[in-house]
Amino acid sequence: MKIKISDQILQRVEKPSRYIGNEWNSIHKDLKGIQIRFAFCFPDVYEVGMSHLGMKILYHLLNERDDTYCERVFAPWVDMEQSMRANKIPLFALESHDPISQFDFVGFTLQYEMSYTNIINMLDLAGIPIYSKDRTKDHPFVCAGGPCAYNPEPLADIVDFFMMGEGEDIINEVMDEYGLWKVDNVSREDFLNRIVNIEGIYIPRFYKVDYNEDGTVGGIMPVKKEYPRKIRKRIVKELDKTFFPDRFIVPFTDIVHDRIMLELFRGCTRGCRFCQAGFVYRPVRERSAGKLLELARKLEENTGYEEISLTSLSTSDYTDLGHLTEELIKEMEPRKVNLSLPSLRIDSFSLDLMEKAQRVRKSGLTFAPEAGTQRLRNVINKGVTEEDLINSVTTAFYGGWSGVKLYFMLGLPTETYEDIEGIAELGSKVVAAYMGIPREKRGKGLNVTISTSSFVPKPFTPFQWEAQDSIETLREKQRYLKDRIKSRHIIYNWHDAELSFLEAVFARGDRKVGNVLVKAWEKGCKFDSWGEHFKFKEWMEAFDECGVDPHFYANRRRSYDEVFPWDHIDVGVGKRFLIRENERAYGGELTSNCRADCSGCGAAAFGGGICVEQR
Amino acid sequence: MNSVRIKFIRGEEVKYISHLDLMKVFERALRRGNIPIAYSMGYNPHPQMVFGLPLPVGVTSEAEYADFELSGSMSPEELMESLNRVLPTGLEVVDAKTKKNKSNIMASIVKASYVVLVCPETNPGIAILRDEIEKFFLQPQIIVKKESKGKIREIDIKPMIYELKVEGIDENGIGPEDGGGQDGGNQGGCGNAWIKKYVNELSGQYPMGANCRVGDLFCLSAMLSAGSAANLKPELPVAAINGAGIPKLDVVKIHRTGLLVGTEEKDLDPMDPGAL
Repeated sequence: MKIKISDQILQRVEKPSRYIGNEWNSIHKDLKGIQIRFAFCFPDVYEVGMSHLGMKILYHLLNERDDTYCERVFAPWVDMEQSMRANKIPLFALESHDPISQFDFVGFTLQYEMSYTNIINMLDLAGIPIYSKDRTKDHPFVCAGGPCAYNPEPLADIVDFFMMGEGEDIINEVMDEYGLWKVDNVSREDFLNRIVNIEGIYIPRFYKVDYNEDGTVGGIMPVKKEYPRKIRKRIVKELDKTFFPDRFIVPFTDIVHDRIMLELFRGCTRGCRFCQAGFVYRPVRERSAGKLLELARKLEENTGYEEISLTSLSTSDYTDLGHLTEELIKEMEPRKVNLSLPSLRIDSFSLDLMEKAQRVRKSGLTFAPEAGTQRLRNVINKGVTEEDLINSVTTAFYGGWSGVKLYFMLGLPTETYEDIEGIAELGSKVVAAYMGIPREKRGKGLNVTISTSSFVPKPFTPFQWEAQDSIETLREKQRYLKDRIKSRHIIYNWHDAELSFLEAVFARGDRKVGNVLVKAWEKGCKFDSWGEHFKFKEWMEAFDECGVDPHFYANRRRSYDEVFPWDHIDVGVGKRFLIRENERAYGGELTSNCRADCSGCGAAAFGGGICVEQR
Repeated sequence: MNSVRIKFIRGEEVKYISHLDLMKVFERALRRGNIPIAYSMGYNPHPQMVFGLPLPVGVTSEAEYADFELSGSMSPEELMESLNRVLPTGLEVVDAKTKKNKSNIMASIVKASYVVLVCPETNPGIAILRDEIEKFFLQPQIIVKKESKGKIREIDIKPMIYELKVEGIDENGIGPEDGGGQDGGNQGGCGNAWIKKYVNELSGQYPMGANCRVGDLFCLSAMLSAGSAANLKPELPVAAINGAGIPKLDVVKIHRTGLLVGTEEKDLDPMDPGAL
């Protein structure tokens, strides 16, 4: 049943092209011969979801299979949702416009905790039961993956199975099993039993959680001894040999990242102690420059994009960056294709690169010192000094840039008001660096932006035991900083502390917080990360009605021997290493990056990337 | 410099793209198709292309035009073929010709014709409706309120209406699409192939598109002033009717059937040798 949305509806919603499909390189298949239909769902609007590289990779990878048809699904914006509900239009996939309730799989990518209510809303719009236990053989399997899946427990009652880690291999293994299961035509439970021993598969209903009297987790055990006790994430060892699409869907309307994204490497060598991505994506694995050039060429030919960006957690750490960018510029300049270089550490080398690469308006340069004093930067293992920063901005100001964005975090472990004062001082020093340059040698109109987010302790980081500051404390710190920033050249922005508080709850939540998600959704919570739709009061009511204390999850310091809700997940990086890193943080000791020295985190168990390369 | 004018269609699939986004679609297609488009000089080079009258969001068209400046040699036929290989569904180049004169399409457009599919609030029958509407447009002056730059002005749209025709759906026996309309023919009225196809699909919609029966629909075909000197949107004559004692009309669909460019002697089709 193909759903045709009438013009009456489309003409009245904001950005109708979100719901149209048919973009260049979107894949349309004849249903004859298709055995598996997969709805790849991104629980946010089109422009956000379409910018996500993981979805691009898995969409094309699944569609390489002759037996599988993978389509995209995004969260309809509130105006469209209203029209859909009023007209009884179920959630449909963008390619075929078929309702996703008829599909074999509905897969969600979990990029941020505050998208969870959108998952519930999308299931409901699709007419799929929200709780896993209520689904029958007539319903699709609901699966999930992505960075937030490393603590799957808040969604344990909703998602049928999780895929841990990088999806390229595991998703094909699951599809193969599904094909066989479908032919055998046996029970739903039987399919889950068939995949439970694929490495990386986590089926929450096959695990039982015991709680201690104080509410902490006593243990998580498989209900049958055949099920794995630990679920290890998957990685692809050699990126050069791993599937990467040679075409991206080219949207009709502006999306957040509307360009070719070249993924240089996965993982990060740096080990900033607050950063989950820096640990869960280990070990660092690079693509070769040769392979990247080949991909860039094909992607450019197949998309017609006017811009290529190099994406990775810390692009300037790519070992062959000079050679790669030089070759890219040489090839792309005659075709009027720009190169953009995000998240660079700014030194004279990369400034030189940026000069060459971008016909940019010399406005925004971004730095993330994260903390205001050297003491606190050492605590978080951010190996950046004040001198580095001032040298970088001075070079940039001489190069004609006049806009600088500085990112910091408030509420980091051991933070004092002196550290916060340090943020304001760092801002002043950046202004002073600009003023110290002769007028004729610097760009016009200095513009320094200081932004603070609130520290959210995340699983699998050295700070997973830490308490988050209370909302009141965070607000007081924001006010304190605001009062200390005097220069008219500095603009100060801060993140909503209430949202960070909820993130902290669900980042380290257990199965008990799952009901709160559903309750909050029933109260109308969705699109929580979109300021205008964030309903904090309703969230707090939901906690109250479910008898769940959010502070227990967000604001409580854990002891090293506490069992975590995610302890049965194995990301390679071990708990003992993380404890050591936590202790080193309190001692203000830096830990060297993977390229300089191995600190024995445990990721070497995967036998790939930097762990097996020569240093 | 080698200039080429193309004529292209914009189908249902791509009618919700804004004019600005459409230019991006073409810019990327030109790159995919290896069309040797010329770029402007300077810091931020732009492809040298000019589009005709912007099409409002939600409107389809069988007569869109663009002028391309090429930096290398490529015949119009080759350009059309290359571009069609890389354009998304719903966009198709249907004609391409070398342009010799310096005029650009955007600056020279003077008239546009449309078919507007409407649904009357009450239906006294097509004969009566036609009579009333045609009588209405015979008035010496038709004053409507037009909003521009936040101000509401009263303007006389009568001099901007060159032709206006009313036609009922049943008069054309909406049947299977009879083709021929897609690449020109500029057929107005309900007989237009695009309109026929649209009406045929209306009944299959989920939910049914308009709040009226297909049999109640009828068509206004109009040729209106267009371009930089005086531009009349097709919604305005419909709005003028509403409130004139004639049943209120809901616009169901707008389709552009043609554009004309002005020359010293007469108005011409943009692909006419005299306009190139």
